[in-house]
Amino acid sequence: MTSWVDASCIIIVFLSLIILSNYRVVAMIRVFAIQSLVLGLLPFFMHASCISSRDVLISLITLILKVALVPSILFWAIRHVSMRAEIKPIIGFGSSIVFGALIIAGAFWISLSLKLPGKPVSDLILPCSLSTVLLGFMIMVTRTRAVTQVLGYLIMENGIFLFAVSLFDVMPVLIEMGILLDIFVAVFIMAIVVNHINEEFEKSAESIIPKIGETF
Amino acid sequence: MNIVFLILVHWLIVLTLAPLFTGVITKVKAFFAGKKGPSVFQAYFDLQKLFQKSSVYSSTTTWIFRAAPIVNLAAVLVLSLLVPVGVLKAPVQFAGDIFLAAYILGLARFFMIAAGLDTGSSFEGMGASREAFFSCLTELALFMNFITLSLVARSISLSTMIGADFPLSWKLMGPILLLVAASFFIVILAENARIPVDDPDTHLELTMIHEVMILDHSGVDLAYMFYAAIIKLFVFAGILVPIIFPIQTGNITVDMLVFLGAMLVVSIMIGVVESVMARLRLNRVQNLLLIAFALAFFGFVVKMWKG
Repeated sequence: MTSWVDASCIIIVFLSLIILSNYRVVAMIRVFAIQSLVLGLLPFFMHASCISSRDVLISLITLILKVALVPSILFWAIRHVSMRAEIKPIIGFGSSIVFGALIIAGAFWISLSLKLPGKPVSDLILPCSLSTVLLGFMIMVTRTRAVTQVLGYLIMENGIFLFAVSLFDVMPVLIEMGILLDIFVAVFIMAIVVNHINEEFEKSAESIIPKIGETF
Repeated sequence: MNIVFLILVHWLIVLTLAPLFTGVITKVKAFFAGKKGPSVFQAYFDLQKLFQKSSVYSSTTTWIFRAAPIVNLAAVLVLSLLVPVGVLKAPVQFAGDIFLAAYILGLARFFMIAAGLDTGSSFEGMGASREAFFSCLTELALFMNFITLSLVARSISLSTMIGADFPLSWKLMGPILLLVAASFFIVILAENARIPVDDPDTHLELTMIHEVMILDHSGVDLAYMFYAAIIKLFVFAGILVPIIFPIQTGNITVDMLVFLGAMLVVSIMIGVVESVMARLRLNRVQNLLLIAFALAFFGFVVKMWKG
């Protein structure tokens, strides 16, 4: 099943690249859900010969939380907000893609000198998880909208999850579960904050416009 | 066997099969639109009609305008000799022929752009400018794909690279081939003026790239341009098919059937993409082409990592 794990790793990095180059928030959230789906199926590919209850548990929690719950919260958050498109990223989309490609190369180069405890199923997991973390970080720092920044954060977490999956046999599940819970709470708070910001701004805009009219 | 005979057989097959490939794409698009659509042989009828007509030339045009269709068709026919078609090996192959392939495409494009400018119409100049800009970026992705493939196959000959002589193994090189195939598919769409980049059906002045440059050509000249575009699409698909389906059984009939089936799958894929996607806004096209480059570059990095 190594080839399936390899292909999943490649697809995860590829989808991060797609999110990096996209400007529509709705499409970005969908791509993130697909990425999480691939990630959620990864434990099955890795232990195809003997699937334990632990694999099923991890996979199920990931699928419910990241494929269903987090995207629906994000969709709910942007429903009433005019945040449909990332308009002015700090770095343009074209240069983002080129930088993204360089980041992937950098991640692979760094991975050359990283040694994991135990033997990983596929040697692509480490560089791909590092690439995903860095690409998520890049999305977080170069985008200006709250939702897209949170998406960058979620992609970073996906990269960390990929890394944790490779250390599956030597790392307790609890840590990963803790991270997932953190993410979930963070997304939830963000959704509430975004909605409140929007309400506040709508109010303030209404209160400002008549004043401008008076000054002329 | 005599090389001349091989070349003639190769051309015969390419010339007869290529219009059918375009016909299948049109049929798939018609199916998605809920229409009956023209017959899969429509391209043959169009070509026959155009070959019977005579050309009209504007008085502002020079010999460049008349040469462009001939150069285009000739270039594409030479390109087709470098690419294997099913069980037929490429009649011409030598180390480094990938550069010849890329520059033949460049030559054809140069004459097409020059002919567009030669008409003196600002409209065609606009199309020429777009073509020049986008093909710069497409060529980047194309070369990156060629570099990755040549590293995988340890050869810089196009037919060896795409596994005509030994099938590339998906088991060993799966991730790399996945990236190259995805990237090359985008290159096919961009090079052949298909939908996310250019729309082959519309004549809207704001969006055309390929169609606008051949707007002043008529009759036999237009037939040449049309045929060249069809063969180019067929040849590009012929490069992609051995990458996606590197199946070789040794039995000539089975291999040919596998190849034809794979070509059918590729044409259906192109038709589906054209049906479900909208044309990209002109200032977003370069992002798509850069993604194609990034994918090929990623494949290159993975290849270096795997050693």
